[in-house]
Amino acid sequence: MYGWIWRQLPGPTAVKVLEATVLVLGVIALLMFVVFPWVEPKLPFNNVTTTP
Amino acid sequence: MDTAVSPAAPEQPPPPERDSRGRTVVRTIGEVLITLGLVVLLFVVYEVYVTDWFSAGKQRDANAALEERWKAPPDPERSRRIEVTDGEAFARMYVPSFGADYQFAILEGTDDKSLEIGPGHYKGTALPGLPGNFAIAGHRVGKGAPFNDIDLLNSCDAIIVETHASWFVYRVLPKADEVAGWPAKDQRRPKCRDVEPLWDRSLANNKRCDPVLGQKYWYRDTVGQEIVRPEDGSVISPVPHCPSVQPSFGPLASLLTLTTCHPRFSDRQRLIVHAVMTSEIPKSMGIRPPEFTETS
Repeated sequence: MYGWIWRQLPGPTAVKVLEATVLVLGVIALLMFVVFPWVEPKLPFNNVTTTP
Repeated sequence: MDTAVSPAAPEQPPPPERDSRGRTVVRTIGEVLITLGLVVLLFVVYEVYVTDWFSAGKQRDANAALEERWKAPPDPERSRRIEVTDGEAFARMYVPSFGADYQFAILEGTDDKSLEIGPGHYKGTALPGLPGNFAIAGHRVGKGAPFNDIDLLNSCDAIIVETHASWFVYRVLPKADEVAGWPAKDQRRPKCRDVEPLWDRSLANNKRCDPVLGQKYWYRDTVGQEIVRPEDGSVISPVPHCPSVQPSFGPLASLLTLTTCHPRFSDRQRLIVHAVMTSEIPKSMGIRPPEFTETS
C-alpha cells in the first residue's frame, strides 16, 4: 500500500519526500479536526454527569 | 585441451523478484493494521492533550465574555440575583490548594458543548450561595480536565465561587472515615473551624428522608467524598440521597457538589465531592476571601 502510494508520487526523490509529508500531515489534520471530534461523543469513557 | 575452468562470471545481483500476489495481499493487510494502530494511538493523544488545547481557548473566551458582562453597570433592582443563560459562563471557581492559577469559568448546563468549555452547572440545582445543592460536573481527562484532581481534595479544603456580586467560600465536608472522630471546635485545624459534619451515623437509617425529622436526619449520608453508580442522580438533589426532601420542608444547608467520572479514563462510576458554604463576602466590601492564601 505504502509502496504503491510512493510510486504514484511524481517527481524526484526530494519532491516525493515533501509530497509524502504533506499527505501525512493532511491525514492527521483530517483525523484531529473532523474524525475524532465526531467519534468522541459516541464513546463511553468521558461521561461525567449523573443521571437519575 | 583447455580444461581450465573459466573464472566465474562476476556475481550479478539477482533481478528484483516480482512479488507474488499472496505476498502483496499479506503485506497490505499488515500495513493497514499498523496504520489503524497508529490511528488509535493518535486518538489517545487527541483525547488527553489536543482537547486540552481546544478547551483552553474556549475557556479563555468564556472567561473574557464573563468579565465583559460583569463590567456592565449593575442594575440596582437585581444586583444580587444571579442570571444564567444556557451555555454561558456565570461564575468562576477557585481551589487555592490546587494553586493560585486554578480557576475555571462555570457554565450553565451539563451538555457536551458546555462541558468542553469548562465545568457545567446542573440546570435546576441551586445557584451559588443559596440553600440547596449547587451542583457542577467537570471533565477529569482532556477538555481542560478541570476536575482531574478532585479526588485529592481533603476535608476542609476551600472551594471559592465568584459571582458578579459576591464571593462564596465552600469547604469540603468531613469524609466518611473522619466523621466519628471529628474533633471539638477548639481542637480542629484552623481550616476546619467552621466545618461541622452533617453526617451522623448514630441516627436511625430507616427514617432518614422523613420530611418532619429535619436536617440531622436528612444529611445522614452526606460526606466529603463518595463514589457512586452513574445512575445515582440523587447526589445532586437539594439534600443528597434524599430526593424526596424539598426546600419547602425546612431550612437546608448551602451545599456545593462536584461530579466527575471515576476511575480516570472510565465511566463505570462517578466521583462525588460535597462541600458546605462557610462564608459569603459581597464584592462591594472590596476584599478577596482570606481563604485564597491557603495553598496546602
